[in-house]
Amino acid sequence: MNENAARRTGGMKNLLEVVMHVVFLVCALASILAVALICIFLFANGLPAIREIGVLDFLTGTTWKPGNDIYGILPMVVGSIYITAGAIVLGVPVGLLTAIFMAFYCPKRLYGVLKPCTELLAGIPSIVYGFFGMVVIVPAVRNVAALCGADISGSSILSASILLGIMILPTIIGVSEAALRAVPRAYYEGAVAMGAAHERAVFTVMLPAAKSGVLAGIVLGIGRAVGETMAVIMVAGNQPRLTGNLLQGIRTLTANIVQEMGYASGLHREALIATGVVLFVFILLINLTFSVLKRRKDA
Amino acid sequence: MTGETTAAAKGRAAAQTGIKPHVYGRRRAKLQKGLVYGAAALTFAVLLFLIAYILVRGIPHLKPSLFAWTYNSDNVSMTPAIITTVQMTLLALLLAVPLGLFTAIYLNEYAKRGNKLVGIIRITTETLSGIPSIVYGLFGMLFFVTRLEWNYSLLSGAMTLAIMILPLIMRTAEEALMAVPDSFREGSFGLGAGRLRTVFRIVLPAAMPGILSGIILAIGRIVGETAALIFTAGTMAQIPTLFQSGRTLAIHMYVLSGEGLHMNEAYATAVVLLVVVLLMNALSALIARKLTKK
Amino acid sequence: MKKSVSLLLAGLMLCGALAGCGGSNDSYGANDAGNAGGDTATGASGAITVISREDGSGTRSAFVELTGVEDDNGDNTTVEAEIANKTDVVLTSVASNAKAIGYVSLGSLNDTVKAIQVDGVDATVENVKSGDYKLSRPFNIATKGVPTGVAADFLNFILSADGQAIVEEEGYIKVNDAAEAFTTDGSEGQIAVGGSSSVSPVMEKLIEAYQEANPKAKIELQTSDSTSGMTGAMDGTFAIGMASRELKDEEKTELTGTAIALDGIAVVVNPENTVANLTMDQIKGIYTGETTDWADVQ
Repeated sequence: MNENAARRTGGMKNLLEVVMHVVFLVCALASILAVALICIFLFANGLPAIREIGVLDFLTGTTWKPGNDIYGILPMVVGSIYITAGAIVLGVPVGLLTAIFMAFYCPKRLYGVLKPCTELLAGIPSIVYGFFGMVVIVPAVRNVAALCGADISGSSILSASILLGIMILPTIIGVSEAALRAVPRAYYEGAVAMGAAHERAVFTVMLPAAKSGVLAGIVLGIGRAVGETMAVIMVAGNQPRLTGNLLQGIRTLTANIVQEMGYASGLHREALIATGVVLFVFILLINLTFSVLKRRKDA
Repeated sequence: MTGETTAAAKGRAAAQTGIKPHVYGRRRAKLQKGLVYGAAALTFAVLLFLIAYILVRGIPHLKPSLFAWTYNSDNVSMTPAIITTVQMTLLALLLAVPLGLFTAIYLNEYAKRGNKLVGIIRITTETLSGIPSIVYGLFGMLFFVTRLEWNYSLLSGAMTLAIMILPLIMRTAEEALMAVPDSFREGSFGLGAGRLRTVFRIVLPAAMPGILSGIILAIGRIVGETAALIFTAGTMAQIPTLFQSGRTLAIHMYVLSGEGLHMNEAYATAVVLLVVVLLMNALSALIARKLTKK
Repeated sequence: MKKSVSLLLAGLMLCGALAGCGGSNDSYGANDAGNAGGDTATGASGAITVISREDGSGTRSAFVELTGVEDDNGDNTTVEAEIANKTDVVLTSVASNAKAIGYVSLGSLNDTVKAIQVDGVDATVENVKSGDYKLSRPFNIATKGVPTGVAADFLNFILSADGQAIVEEEGYIKVNDAAEAFTTDGSEGQIAVGGSSSVSPVMEKLIEAYQEANPKAKIELQTSDSTSGMTGAMDGTFAIGMASRELKDEEKTELTGTAIALDGIAVVVNPENTVANLTMDQIKGIYTGETTDWADVQ
């Protein structure tokens, strides 16, 4: 795209072009400003606490007892990873396949009903999901576990993963479907014209062509899963201790912040903001990994 | 991952060179078809169950007093909350959509490829999209509520939400713009249109469905948000002006259910919330259709 | 190619697993509406699911202090306790889990759960009032310095016969039986009241009644938690802060607290549970993690 092409057309138009160019640039910078503000606020408030507690003690400590000034967030880090991974494992395949269904298989009339349904799901507040999880998923997990002889309460990593798996569906379906639809129809027609079956055209031509958008949907889904608070807090049990058992409860980073931020003060409050910083870095790592993967694929 | 890439490349190569379909395997096609239908069935079974659950728990408790014009602790009316929800959504979108869309346009249509700024913006926005709403809420409280002294208000809440949905809108808009084939732009430039004209007349309309899906997701997030708003917009049940506290439907639910005193009314609120989301989505679809036609 | 086949197979297995879960969700969901606890537990034995509140909660703070879960070493609540951040989460969890135990404000008690006796005394308003039921705490409001204008007038209203009648009507216990009737001094203006979510429901009623008595005053109510209420009162966000516990020492140095009502804390279990009475020591044992099975507290 050539900068000079626009300039050559001249006159008023030229001026407008330049003005709008600047407007767009300013907007882009404004979003950086927003990011910068949040970063500065987070790091300025969180890092001193990490330094005071000690990086290692903070990140690898397994005890969280603000009352006794012991701040170790390893259980919460592990909790967030477990629950997010569980949600991704359950939600992404189902969501992606549903997006494929919506884009390539769904009859038009049915689509008119199903599409608003998925959009509706994105608008249900997390506390409704939380209640749903509490009275449906948690007892279900408890009862299934009881059949297998395990005596548990049901508020567990598994319950939270199932609930989050459901919660990220609309995001993944919405974004992936838009990406799949954005692939030029000609790709599909070309594949079919060469004798590929419908499935083959969809899975080997359309899906790879839409991978950038699909990936974006998954990243958004992970973001939602990691960041979810109000629903997870109702089904995860929130015990701040380390466990490898999927049927036991655990506390996530977000739950830690939302439960204690309201009343925390001093070092405790800073430790919670530092928890936010860890969450932030966490997301940063996920995104970097994805963009590296993406770049390698594009190359 | 590289394995998958080569597989995909092979598949594309196969499609291009026209290897006969039987190599691909009918069983595999069947399996894929089964998977797609199975996943869709599962998704919609869960969705319908969830919606049915809300309706069953909520509809029996819908009564006229829940829609009284003013709220008091006896009627726990949700009318002020409905209006606040609409106000909050419109205000947040008004702030975030132009900003997000223009940024996406800059990134995709104006910035040169390989521009450092583009890389920075992309990484930061992707990062932003992962920040939990509770952190946005805390930021909003410290910055808008305390620093700018806007107190608990509609504006504080809407600004916080606008920042929160900005990455979502930016990311989806960018994806949508990227998906518009370059031939559209080349055609437009070829006919002598300037860049601005090309963007607004050719590229944006083509990208509208993708942008819209981003906006609808954003509406969903705004309407369903609680964590970020409790600390910024407060919990007053009234129709707020710009600098007054108000509660959206989600917060209304949160407050109603909180002490276990009004659980039935909370579910009834959830039903209304569904209707509001439905209406807002329909409205935005309508607007987009009008824009695209033009 | 192989890779994508295996990926698909993995996807299939996951779908199968989720379908299983989805299916069971449906059937249990249907079950759940009628028989919340399921039929697996008898209530007489089995691991206890301990449900507590978050650290900032006034209810928790009062509960651990009264039961002795908190000692000189701080709060000894077992780490295995599930943490609910709101009263309704405690109620719903206990109502749907036959082996759960939790605690809520007496005013929030409903028939989806069963309140047990503590040391043989029923959790009722009368017993809290007479002092026989030991698990009770005051609802406090706090102001910075001497309140003026609307805040002072509203304070008078709360402590008057009219205000205290509302307190009693809402299921809490009056702090002043001999209060006089209220007459407003006609103050004008707007103030903000905020803090404990436990105090909020009764405060909402009080505000409505007060604004009827004095239409010139406008009072905003913000609901969060006890500690936020005290912090807000200290930094001036709220003219009046609410706490569902005693003020802490560092709060007392800046704020003047006034008790406006007494509230009991009910210890609740699932209605199917056969346990009807626990001693204070047994409750302490359960919440510190020494007792983990219902069979041990029969």
